[in-house]
Amino acid sequence: MAFLIRTIDFTAAGREIIRDRVLEQTRLTIGRGAENDIHLPDLAVEQRHVQLTTQADGTLAVEALGTLGFTLDGRVVNEGAIDPRTRGEIALGAARLTAAHESDGTISITIRQVAADAGKGDALRGFALASVLPSKRAMSWVFASAILLLLLAIPVASHLTRTPVKNDPTGNTPGQVVLDAAWTSGEMSVKHQSLENNCESCHVAAFESVQDETCVSCHEETGDHAPMPRQAKGMPALSPGDAIQWRIAQGLGKEGPLGCVSCHSEHEGPVRQQASTQAFCSDCHDKLDIRLTDTELGNAHDFGKGHPQFRPVYFASFGAAKPVRASLDTKPVERSGLVFPHDVHMDARGGAARMAVSLAQYRAPLECKDCHSLNADKIGFKEVKMEDSCEGCHSLVSGRSAGGGFSKLRHGDVQDLAEDLARISSGPRPALAPARQRPGQIGSAAPSYRADFGRPVRAYIGFSNALSPGGICTECHLPTRGRTGQADLMPVNLPDRFLTSGYFNHEAHKKEKCTDCHAADTSKVATDLLLPDLKSCRDCHLGAAAVKTKKIVPSECAMCHAYHLPAGQWQPKGRAPHYKPPPATLPSAPNTTAKTTVAAFLARATK
Amino acid sequence: MASRAKSAAGAGGAVKSRFSQDEQRRDSDHVSFLKHKGFRWLWIALLLSGASIAGYLLIDQEPRPNGGSWYGYTLGTIGIGLILWLSLLGVRKRRINPGVWSLKAWTSAHVYLGLSLVVVGTLHTGFQVGWNVHTLAYVLMLLVIITGIWGVVVYATLPASLSANRKEMTRAQMLDALTAIDRQLERAAQPLGRAEADLVIAALSQDTFHGGALARLTGSYPRCATARALKGMGRSLGSGSEAATRVAALLEKRRDQLAQIRGALRIRAMLEVWLFIHIPLTIALIAALTAHVVSVFYYW
Repeated sequence: MAFLIRTIDFTAAGREIIRDRVLEQTRLTIGRGAENDIHLPDLAVEQRHVQLTTQADGTLAVEALGTLGFTLDGRVVNEGAIDPRTRGEIALGAARLTAAHESDGTISITIRQVAADAGKGDALRGFALASVLPSKRAMSWVFASAILLLLLAIPVASHLTRTPVKNDPTGNTPGQVVLDAAWTSGEMSVKHQSLENNCESCHVAAFESVQDETCVSCHEETGDHAPMPRQAKGMPALSPGDAIQWRIAQGLGKEGPLGCVSCHSEHEGPVRQQASTQAFCSDCHDKLDIRLTDTELGNAHDFGKGHPQFRPVYFASFGAAKPVRASLDTKPVERSGLVFPHDVHMDARGGAARMAVSLAQYRAPLECKDCHSLNADKIGFKEVKMEDSCEGCHSLVSGRSAGGGFSKLRHGDVQDLAEDLARISSGPRPALAPARQRPGQIGSAAPSYRADFGRPVRAYIGFSNALSPGGICTECHLPTRGRTGQADLMPVNLPDRFLTSGYFNHEAHKKEKCTDCHAADTSKVATDLLLPDLKSCRDCHLGAAAVKTKKIVPSECAMCHAYHLPAGQWQPKGRAPHYKPPPATLPSAPNTTAKTTVAAFLARATK
Repeated sequence: MASRAKSAAGAGGAVKSRFSQDEQRRDSDHVSFLKHKGFRWLWIALLLSGASIAGYLLIDQEPRPNGGSWYGYTLGTIGIGLILWLSLLGVRKRRINPGVWSLKAWTSAHVYLGLSLVVVGTLHTGFQVGWNVHTLAYVLMLLVIITGIWGVVVYATLPASLSANRKEMTRAQMLDALTAIDRQLERAAQPLGRAEADLVIAALSQDTFHGGALARLTGSYPRCATARALKGMGRSLGSGSEAATRVAALLEKRRDQLAQIRGALRIRAMLEVWLFIHIPLTIALIAALTAHVVSVFYYW
């Protein structure tokens, strides 16, 4: 077995010098010492460092002769083997010895010197993940600047540079501030959905909470619950915690606990403002008279346990200009000016019922709905019109008309009546004699001369009779004398709503019979105020804390009362609260429109 | 801490003092930051979380819990204070100067208080989320916390496998081994034809750290030139030349050495990648928090 030792050196100019020598032996020693077969003048190499021994299978055994190992194919080991057919490299100091199998069967050992690895430290950096990813600092800058620019700088800049516009109550004007949609803390309520993209309509000034005046700029018709000073006086003292909170909040520019947003919190999702709880009302109204000593309102805290008797609005005297309010406990007597016994009309076996059965428009005994029909708001009733509801029986027909129909007296205005009666009396009369008149007959002795117009007093007598006790008008109306002593009728006064501070939904109670609550079937006179009292409502309705059963309905204040005045009743479904009530049913002005034309006529006359 | 050791020395004599000093050193040297001081910060974090939950459940907020209620503001203030303080760990660990502030205590507190932020932050939202800057801040916070948890987990588990993969080689040695193989490969490939020689050149000239972050994390290198060369040599092995056999054997060696390096790269990448999300997202979170707080009071 022979080794071919090939030493490769470089001249200063870089030219390779190759020296070969052949050693006929099976074992080689490598070291710094001169006695070694391969002498490496390198301080990093031991005197006798490594020994190579050829093995029977053609491989080379490599072993360290001292305690210091060597590098075989990049690994530091103390012993190893090289298959010269696939080659192997031993590193000793700066020398690299490559063992290879030559074609003639010898094993060549090629020795080269390598320059020290200058860039090894740099190469190690490649192990760090940072070598293939953008730096953390760069990513931080990119993310942070993108967020600050898009979500802060642009909205703030466009808010500050916008041209403020007056608010549009329809809410259809888009906002001018760019990208502030990203600032929303939640979807707007159902009624404010159209403001979703117009944040600055409410958030007017920077760092200023939403102000009441901004709300009112659209909600002009929404009234205060009561004048603000009275509300403030009527409120119980805040708890110490709440007081501190409000002091801080008001110090930072929030409206106080009576401000709009303290109840109407927004950005809570597409919901409606919920009805206030009973506690919300009873906080103030429980002992309101202690704080508001001059209040006319009774204390209330729970419909079942603490609620004052109803105080309907009604006309307490005939022809009064204004209605009064009184508790049902005082047994109020209503002076509407009408004569109307409900019992007579509602008796299923009485004359009125018989008459109705015979009439084509009824064909049955009278029922409440024949005269009373519900308003669109399902709360009040339309006014009863004589022509529609009464005239079927209480006919005002006065004769045959020229067209073959009937003529009738007009209803509603005593002046009209007077004119109609006068027309009857002055109408053409049947001829006294059938014969044609002959010349000379007129003005002759027999028959005596008579002009063809009625007696001057006849129309007056008819009019007077109609309006006098026992006359046709007094079937329903009360006779009276006008200012000059002429015959007249008492004006009819009925309020549009009896219970003006609450809402009673008749539609919700349609399973009940009218007479379950209104004792109309036993009412003999029109002066009965046929309103059910608190006690009868409590048959079913108890306070919010009551246990719901088939009969008992736990009833919050908001079931009948609204907070803002004027406002509609809060309804669990259907239209949202604060719809604008129709002007005719404004509860604050129940008597501005006259009920009948008679009353209107009188009202005009007295003015 | 030092003063306590001193007072112990004064009271109990030199032996005890030595023992307690050693205990202290052993503690600081060998106890994990997770177990620092008997899980002190874990208990503090649990206390904070428990108190936040109790307050959330007991305090009735009208009309519903919300970041804008007084309790919401309280939780939000605690939250932003924690976030800013936690992010200062990056500053603290660079301040190598004396003082009674243990980096291990900071790290322990960082981990446990960071986890309690999940509770504080979530309660602060009042469970109201949407496509807005507020939820952006919340999501960023959660991502930062999740990557933090990932970081703690990999720090606890991966170093062992990193050590196992090394097989007692340093990183430099792994590269050296590859260089040694490459030198032999270059010489062994001399007799090869053009096509095979090109394959070897491609394998030798490809960067050891070829492949992006994804390749490192998955350990999948579809464009590895060594694997390609090996495949190409396999086709030409039919010729049976000695040189080709030798080159193929060396290429296999090279592939194995690369596999070890890539194994190290993979574990290293898993160890480090969380920080590449954790840090930039923390800075993004602070930016989003700024936008969150300013916008809330701007549109108050």
